[in-house]
Amino acid sequence: MYQNVLESIKGIGLYGIVSILIFFVFFTGMLVWAFALKKNYLNTMGNLPLEDGQRPETATDKIQS
Amino acid sequence: MNVETFKYDNRVVRAFAIATVVWGIVGMLVGLLAAVELFYPGANLNLQFITFGRIRPLHTNAVIFAFVGNGMFMGIYYSLQRLCKARMFSDFLSWFNFWGWQAIIVSAALTLPLGFTTSKEYAELEWPIKIAIAVVWVVFTVNLIGTILKRREKHMYVAIWFFLATALTVAVLHITNSMTMPAGWFKSYSMYAGVQDALVQWWYGHNAVAFFLTTPYLGLMYYFLPKAANRPIFSYRLSIIHFWGLIFIYIWAGPHHLLYTSLPDWAQSLGMVFSLMLIAPSWGGMLNGLLTLRGAWDKVRQDPVLKFMVVAITAYGMATLEGPLMAVKSVNSLSHYTDWTIAHAHSGALGWNGFFTFSMLYYLYPKLYNTKLWSTKLANYHFWIGLLGIMFYLIPIYVAGLTEGLMWKQFTRDGFLQYPNFLETIVQVVPMFRLRSVGGTLYFVGVLLMTCNLYRTARAGKFEPDTEAQAVPWQQIPAAPHGGTGFHRLLEGKPLIFTVLAVVAILIGGIVEIIPMYLIKENVPTIASVKPYTPLEVLGRDLYIREGCLGCHSQMIRPFRSETERYGEYSKAGEFVYDHPFLWGSERKGPDLAREGGKYPAAWHYNHMDDPRATSPGSIMPRYSWLLTQKLETDSLPSRLAALRRVGVPYPAGYENGPAQKDLQAQAEKITADLKQGAVTADSDREIIALIAYLQRLGTDIKAAPAAPAAGQ
Repeated sequence: MYQNVLESIKGIGLYGIVSILIFFVFFTGMLVWAFALKKNYLNTMGNLPLEDGQRPETATDKIQS
Repeated sequence: MNVETFKYDNRVVRAFAIATVVWGIVGMLVGLLAAVELFYPGANLNLQFITFGRIRPLHTNAVIFAFVGNGMFMGIYYSLQRLCKARMFSDFLSWFNFWGWQAIIVSAALTLPLGFTTSKEYAELEWPIKIAIAVVWVVFTVNLIGTILKRREKHMYVAIWFFLATALTVAVLHITNSMTMPAGWFKSYSMYAGVQDALVQWWYGHNAVAFFLTTPYLGLMYYFLPKAANRPIFSYRLSIIHFWGLIFIYIWAGPHHLLYTSLPDWAQSLGMVFSLMLIAPSWGGMLNGLLTLRGAWDKVRQDPVLKFMVVAITAYGMATLEGPLMAVKSVNSLSHYTDWTIAHAHSGALGWNGFFTFSMLYYLYPKLYNTKLWSTKLANYHFWIGLLGIMFYLIPIYVAGLTEGLMWKQFTRDGFLQYPNFLETIVQVVPMFRLRSVGGTLYFVGVLLMTCNLYRTARAGKFEPDTEAQAVPWQQIPAAPHGGTGFHRLLEGKPLIFTVLAVVAILIGGIVEIIPMYLIKENVPTIASVKPYTPLEVLGRDLYIREGCLGCHSQMIRPFRSETERYGEYSKAGEFVYDHPFLWGSERKGPDLAREGGKYPAAWHYNHMDDPRATSPGSIMPRYSWLLTQKLETDSLPSRLAALRRVGVPYPAGYENGPAQKDLQAQAEKITADLKQGAVTADSDREIIALIAYLQRLGTDIKAAPAAPAAGQ
């Protein structure tokens, strides 16, 4: 029944293809980007919550010195 | 370079913390009452305001939006300032956010027991309150983005991404699902009908769980877990993948709440596939959290904060494995409508949200009051009694869920239903309902211990309204030596671009799902014999909504033999084209009502509403005796019918001014006459008459059809 309903919508076939494409491009792009990130950067980011302006700040200190 | 000195605002954090505890106690108490009413129906003392149907939404709203909502704001207002190295953008907006949110909660606590509800799960509040929610949410979002824009730290830590995604997605969801046509101050009708309404509602409902209960708390996990363990997150790279994977996939999975219903098959399959894919980012996040503690498990033994966190993160992992499995169609055919769903929801609520909120409170109170926790021992007691409470809650209710599912589907060797009477299945699980309330009580006692502990901690310390901090604004610091990709630097430097990208990511899923539904609006196979409700039935339906009947009764027969044998012909999409809102329900504590019309005489319904146990011994339904005495309110009929016409129900122009009242009167007289035949004398202007009119109409339209569409879905 629903196949007939959907077939009556123009270009419904495109929906599936476009969805898969968007999905594939999005995830490939995201993974490539995530794995290209530099170790240094990741370390700095990981340590961010541990500095909150109330004690010497590792990243800022490094840059200042 | 100028080192700037500034102050973090602790007052608003403390205010949200107190609200979290207070509303937590209220929400859980209401939950306990609801749990007791399920095995002792008289527990409402025959008061309509605290019947199960009315307090169930009160409990869910209180726990989700009041307890977890305030907990979320508490955590965000604390961590955001420190991650941005800046005070909140505006103190005024912070306090507007706080008081606005509390006012919304109070109005919910008043209106839901009074029966003002849209009936849409987790979106029950009527339209004036919905508008207030939108305003407060916008204020929160402006405050959030404003703080991010004025930050001194160049990089946006991953927790902030989760906060931003939360703020934006909740806004989109709330607005889309709140499209209603007001009919007076406390009544409105959904713009969408039937299948469309169901799809939009569960797109919302599912993502409310995702973006109100999950993403903000994940952001908080990425902040508070490293703080409590005093070590960075296991893998920052994994946290990035976790974030984008989660927000991109989550939004597609909504239709898994509607498997085997009248929703088109393609939407069901889409929901199922994306639900399964969700395991990957969810478990990535859970492992990232747990592995942060590698080599530091000795700390978990000593620190109650970490104890609560470990159980919370584990519960997150369990719930996010179970959820996708329940979204597999074959599993769902067993689990749907049973208490399994309730168990799943509570493993998330009690374990993940509850325990994580407790861990934040235990972490924050000593910090805010510049002291140590009053009693670590008491916190440990809380941990164990809470954990025991979760077990005592979950295990019986899983057993109940499985028992219900299996009994509903059991056939004899001759091919008849083994338990044709729904009551037989409910009576079986009542002992489990009793045990569940023991679990809830234990959990609640734990919360009381915590309240005492936090209060004593506050008494022992001195509150620090502002915490002084120092930082160099990032604009004054030369480009970071560690680089990072150009694209990423752009993304972080411009939070607004980031925001737009995150919105695009969540919108894609929503659009792909919902646009075809709009397109088929004209093409939903209408069934010629399905007609709009009569005026009396409209009012009866509104009573059904007011009393929250759909909390226990579904109106959606799935295409299984076990269901068609029990309830009748399975439900078709075309039957719901005038249902504003849809009332499919999501659990069965009583039988499905989709084909209730004509099953029993009017007098049976009358007696059943007066005392369910008179007609159905062992029933756990509360008495609705007030329906027999309260006068039906008909003054608002014209505005109700006009609102329904505006959303597309084809009542003739001017019908509401005169003819409608006459039709109503005539139908009421007819039902009164029917009642008389059953030896019941009743006035025709009572509420019960309208409700009987509605119940007797349910599912009868297609029986009149010369040839209803018979093809399968």
